[in-house]
Amino acid sequence: MTSIDYQQTRRFKLKKFATEGAGRLIIFLIGSVVLWAFISAFVVERPDRYLPSPLSVILSSADMLYKGSLLSFYSDTLFRLVFGGSIGILIGIPVGLLLGLNRTVADMFYPLLNFFQSVSGIAIFPVIVIWFGNSDTTVLIVILYTSFFPITFNVLSGVRAVPVRYIQAARTLGASRMQVVRDVLLPGAMPSIAVGTRLSIGFAWRAVIAGEMLAGRPGLGNMIFSGQEFDNTAQIILGMVMIGITWIVLDHFLLRPLEADTIERWGLVQR
Amino acid sequence: MSGEAKLIIQDLCHHYPDEYTGESVHALEGINLQVYDNEFVAIVGPSGCGKTTLLNIVAGLLPYREGRAMVDGVDIRGPGPDRGVVFQEHAILPWRTVARNIGHGLELQRVPKEETRRRVQEYIDLVGLTGFENRYPHELSGGMKQRVAVARTLCADPVIMLMDEPFAAVDAQTRITLQDELNRIVMATRKTILFITHSVEEAAFLGDRCIVFSRRPGRIKTEIKIDIPREERVWSKMATNPKFTEARDEILRLVRQEVTVDDEH
Amino acid sequence: MTTLSKVSIAIQKRFGRQRLRKTILGSIPFIVLISLWELNTHFVWFEPIEIPPLSHVWEAIFFLQSDCPGFVAAFEGHYECQLSNHILSSLGRVVLAGVVGIPCGIAFGILAGMNRVVSGYLEPVGIFMNSVSGIAWIPLAIVWFGVGWETTLFIMLNTIFWLIFFNTMMGVRAVPKVLVHGVQTMGGSYLDTIRHVYFPGAMPAIITGMRMSLGFGWRALIAAEMIGGDSGLGFMIFVSAVEFKTEEVFLGVILISLIYLISDRWMLVPLEKWTIERWGLVWKPT
Repeated sequence: MTSIDYQQTRRFKLKKFATEGAGRLIIFLIGSVVLWAFISAFVVERPDRYLPSPLSVILSSADMLYKGSLLSFYSDTLFRLVFGGSIGILIGIPVGLLLGLNRTVADMFYPLLNFFQSVSGIAIFPVIVIWFGNSDTTVLIVILYTSFFPITFNVLSGVRAVPVRYIQAARTLGASRMQVVRDVLLPGAMPSIAVGTRLSIGFAWRAVIAGEMLAGRPGLGNMIFSGQEFDNTAQIILGMVMIGITWIVLDHFLLRPLEADTIERWGLVQR
Repeated sequence: MSGEAKLIIQDLCHHYPDEYTGESVHALEGINLQVYDNEFVAIVGPSGCGKTTLLNIVAGLLPYREGRAMVDGVDIRGPGPDRGVVFQEHAILPWRTVARNIGHGLELQRVPKEETRRRVQEYIDLVGLTGFENRYPHELSGGMKQRVAVARTLCADPVIMLMDEPFAAVDAQTRITLQDELNRIVMATRKTILFITHSVEEAAFLGDRCIVFSRRPGRIKTEIKIDIPREERVWSKMATNPKFTEARDEILRLVRQEVTVDDEH
Repeated sequence: MTTLSKVSIAIQKRFGRQRLRKTILGSIPFIVLISLWELNTHFVWFEPIEIPPLSHVWEAIFFLQSDCPGFVAAFEGHYECQLSNHILSSLGRVVLAGVVGIPCGIAFGILAGMNRVVSGYLEPVGIFMNSVSGIAWIPLAIVWFGVGWETTLFIMLNTIFWLIFFNTMMGVRAVPKVLVHGVQTMGGSYLDTIRHVYFPGAMPAIITGMRMSLGFGWRALIAAEMIGGDSGLGFMIFVSAVEFKTEEVFLGVILISLIYLISDRWMLVPLEKWTIERWGLVWKPT
């Protein structure tokens, strides 16, 4: 195969990652930990309060793992994210599609969706608390709200963005309304569904953490918040690292590839 | 053509490690070349023969270790305004208007605004872009962008102008137009030019001398002089001029030799 | 033709028929919502404590400012001018964090992006720092700075810096090297390549970074004010929620959204148009 074809194969990319990417990653990780330990030990006064050493964070995590609390917090948070996020997305996609079908309806709802997309779930939070108190329901509603609007908005835009000539082409082949939706609009909206999903999960993830902090429900967010309350800075750092890693794994290894593959597969249509 | 050699290359060799396999690629071997004042030298050869590498070395964008390369008696050590380059992808800045792109060289040399404006207008008219001074590159066609690139390089008044397959990316019609225009510009400005192409027709049409490169490792296979005054280098006349057709056929034959040897592998 | 149709045609000509149509259609849902809101007040489907009357929300503005001695005093932050104080605090943090964070992010981003090796190593750093969302930094910031404006400012600054740094760095990296070569072969110096090539070339990425940092940063700021602040809009709505003063909460939420919409729509989008659209560039955000 030619040089260009070879570069595109998964094998080559994997090999490049293994030699270049993974090497860099390892250096990055080791370097960060060393820098961290250095700052913690020599630069900061009272490290246990302000910047605990990597070692104390590891010990703290081992301790929490042992007690089972770490896993329980983590699963609580993830459950809320997946549950709330999925419902928001599963409702959002059909709503976006339906609204997008008719030009007038779409034009009507576009500004409204755009508006609510910018009223963040966090700003909404106090309102929800007044209605439902500091409960799991509150956090769930906030997540639902946060994940619903980005995807609905994106899907609506995506459906509207399908070039008219594709619809016309289908019509000239004798497609009925239903068939146009199934064969042209739905595939045409796939890229925006993928993008909207990534956005929704992203916003929802931030909302989960904030919601747990604010409502005091058990989970990662609450873990780092109570770490601050009980002067356990190592717990805070542990939580932050877990949040960062979870998002990296979620975004770079799940959501982005999903989006890229979807766009590659369906992406004959601009978004 | 005066007797002064503007560009002197002696025994130039170049190797580089291949990005993917790590093996050493022998790009150039024993290049000896001189380009004289007001000459138009065209370098032609099969793909991968190292002609672009040579141009990059002369431009100062690629460091070399073996051999010598000098412009106006000074060793080449890096890019500079004495060796202007017209790139294949034109490389004009998308965020500057036509006028500001063309005047960029003068701006970098801190030439006063009034003079810059005057000279820029001169070159805009020379390349036939009058009226487009305030357009942005994305509003122009491929041929027009390339004209901006040529005007930009000319305006900076280099000692030698290096052109790296500048017309390869435009369609055939535009290419012919641009070639005619380049001749006109050369007549008007009397610039010294080193021109890389893989089109034999283009090399013979434009070049006073055509240097034929061998396939990798690039060596100078031979040199063909084309003794036709620039005023007569018009496509309508050239097609019937035996000096042109013979030279072109000879170059083609030589290049074919290099390519066919490749095919046998 | 009747006067009505004459007027109608004139309006359509002036504003553009499509734009007019979209504006009118788009406002219908809002009008419906507000009508439903008013109807709720009338029919009391939900208690006033859950959904306060529109008029109460409006009056809350004046109630909060009631002891405020005057416009000048409000501007200077007199302690009785509650609402304006909160607004000014939040906005002030945004401005301060922006003024410091954006240039720093751009400067470091350009320097890092110009060098392939450096940007290769800093890319994971940028990815990680942007993955720990601004909100997750709040408890740590409270440990370091205590509850107060330092925490909220830090959160906003942190969010802005890392987003702009990373976007700028990637944008600079994506600038075609041939453009740099073009400037070098005309005698451009190192500084010239930064000013004339890297910075404008990375502009789409920088502006995307600015829009993202406004969006994420504003949210993080509100959350920071709720959790670890002592002033600002976030603080105000949180405290009002605790005291069940729903009309103040509604007011706060509306103000929060309006500020975001105005800054995005009327500041950043025009900035985008003025640069990258004019230059014909498009950047797909990472």
